[in-house]
Amino acid sequence: MGGTPERWDLEVDVVAVGSGLGSITAALVAHDRGQQVVVLEKAPRLGGLCGYGGGEVFCPNGPHMQDIGQADSDDAARQYFAFLGAGFNEPELTEKMVATYKEAIEYTEKEAGVAWEAVEGLDDYYYPDAPGSNTGRYLAVQLFDGATLGEWQQKTWPVSPHFPPAATHKEMYAWGGLANVTKWDYELLGQRIAADQRSFGPGMMGWFVKAAMVDRGIPAHVETPVRALVTDDDGRVVGVRAEKDGNDFFVRARKGVILGIGGYDHNKPMATMYEEVHDWNSATQPYLHGDHLLMGGEIGADIASVPPTNLAMFYGYNIPGEEHDGVPLWRSSWECGCPHAIWVNGQGERFCDESFYKDYQPRIREWNGKTQQQENLDVFLIFDGNYRERYPLGSFMPGMEIPEELAVKADTPRELAEKLGIDPTRLEATLERFNAGAAKGEDPDFDAGHFSWSNRLAGDPSYPNPNVGVVEKAPFYGVKLAPVGVGINSHGLRTNTSGQVMHVRGHAIPGLYAVGMSAAILDLGGGYQSGTSNMRAITWGYITGRHVSES
Amino acid sequence: MAEVEYSTTAKLPVETIWDFVCEIDNWAAYMTGYQSHEKENADDSVWVLKGDVGAMTRTLKFRVHVTEWAGPERVTFELEGLNEQMSGDGEFVMQSYEDESAEATAATTRKGWLQRAIEAVVRFFFRLFRGRVERAASADAGPGEGMARLRFRLEMRPGGPMGPMINAMIKPAMTVAAEDLANRIVGHLETERPGSA
Repeated sequence: MGGTPERWDLEVDVVAVGSGLGSITAALVAHDRGQQVVVLEKAPRLGGLCGYGGGEVFCPNGPHMQDIGQADSDDAARQYFAFLGAGFNEPELTEKMVATYKEAIEYTEKEAGVAWEAVEGLDDYYYPDAPGSNTGRYLAVQLFDGATLGEWQQKTWPVSPHFPPAATHKEMYAWGGLANVTKWDYELLGQRIAADQRSFGPGMMGWFVKAAMVDRGIPAHVETPVRALVTDDDGRVVGVRAEKDGNDFFVRARKGVILGIGGYDHNKPMATMYEEVHDWNSATQPYLHGDHLLMGGEIGADIASVPPTNLAMFYGYNIPGEEHDGVPLWRSSWECGCPHAIWVNGQGERFCDESFYKDYQPRIREWNGKTQQQENLDVFLIFDGNYRERYPLGSFMPGMEIPEELAVKADTPRELAEKLGIDPTRLEATLERFNAGAAKGEDPDFDAGHFSWSNRLAGDPSYPNPNVGVVEKAPFYGVKLAPVGVGINSHGLRTNTSGQVMHVRGHAIPGLYAVGMSAAILDLGGGYQSGTSNMRAITWGYITGRHVSES
Repeated sequence: MAEVEYSTTAKLPVETIWDFVCEIDNWAAYMTGYQSHEKENADDSVWVLKGDVGAMTRTLKFRVHVTEWAGPERVTFELEGLNEQMSGDGEFVMQSYEDESAEATAATTRKGWLQRAIEAVVRFFFRLFRGRVERAASADAGPGEGMARLRFRLEMRPGGPMGPMINAMIKPAMTVAAEDLANRIVGHLETERPGSA
């Protein structure tokens, strides 16, 4: 922050900070409108958090729903977004987003060559209960050929540790879903990996990086973190101070700076404070430090929030010895979508529909006001021999020995409880109660398996209730879980309908924009739905790219 | 199955290389991702390595059993994953060598375009490396005088249903590991040899 430097190392019209969907889309649009753009990325690879994610884009009544014969309407979309917002959204932002997302996504397809296709049969989270909910609204990319990236092939993420490499959504469901990973076509996947065929988030960002860096020649600098915004005497953002090869690297932005650098998952004090969870871990790459909040805060930007209680966070675990980019790799636990598994808290009691993370996520923070404790922070995944014969635990396929550091094993529930430090009598009672319903494919306490989204994504379709099965066959296993963030944060910079960052005094800060998770998700409000992060990143990238070009 | 083979040359007598290679402690740390090793007896050892599998790094524990000590020309071994469904085998082969035109090779059983590209890159770096080593070595060891070729072959066989996928994911890292090991051993010996720069 502060006055302009004596010398700029680089002068352009637009500086896009970060290289996720929001930044790259803004860079594409600004470039296509005649602006000179540069992308600065902190990580050693381009793609941001989006390059690690599922690559789904939520696009109600979108351009490819007719390909799968699915009817939809803009009115239904608005109803559903209003349901998600739950009164915590800002209507002007929501309306701008809803009115623009299709245009933005069509731009990426027609002008940037991103090959989208509809994901048939994947329902909205709350389908069919919520007003305006529907099915087939997700887009995902067709397989992307990494070799077309040229010099960027090795500087993008070819696969994500969190999603099946080189498989498409369509194949994943056709092969039986996550519950049936032992039956997938790994010969085919092996051939594709060897040929660097990319899918999910890595595939999606491959298309975008190709469009920006290869097809348009937009320059990008990796391992170049931006440390501060540079302002002039009037408070306008006129550039950035980045760090390159250990030295200051001043880049002038004649038109504007767009912050699209994700959230703060790896700034533990910030995440703990904002997300209201003491034991914070993250599945994301270790480059999300909340720099947007620090840099924005330094020049008076307004930090806004939505309730953290119902966004996207999971329980998960770290397999000892697994790392990514030099830090422990935390995995989200999808095991409880499968039959023959439940979660219990430290009291040995179930507390949620384990198959639907929107149900358990708010309960992570639940306080017991009489004991001053968040009783659902100490949570254990409990599964039995039936589970182990059929389903994996992380990378441990059936038949593989699970290390003791990860999973405690016992012959009886009582012995398991004693090993885990849970009240044995309560765990036995919990299993007895659960099994009585599970034997009939039911869960009278928490209605696990209620939503078709859970059935399809994480359940075993061969079961009457894909998400429920008795836990009764020895041996019994217990895995200690912890909250795991996935980069969807409650706090961000407040923006207006042009994507400009707002000052705490209520005016837009000239020359400064925020997109993606760097912008507070006031457009979505109090709820979350897979694919909405990617959709809003593209949408606000498109909006800011146009606005900064016209400024 | 992922197989990779790499060879390099050294202006050293084959016996010198053998004396170094036959003692595991001498070169263990030159394995890419090396964490530790423990010798159980003359033929068996347990290794802990960190290896890249796709986007993640995993800590892999192997038992290595030497099946043949055939000095000064060959060491063959088998390996078994202790925390992964994986087995494999490999060998070091040392040969006296007089043909300077031969170059390093990195071969796999199935050569797609990607593998050919990797080989091209490996050859490029090999030429750079060889130039550096030869500049560092003393000038008094002329062609044909105490020269040897060191070849390292490693084959890994990931098991379980995901084996074919894991196979594709570990192959790039194996290629680099084989190249690193052979070059580091030769680099060490070339630097340490009496009279070197």
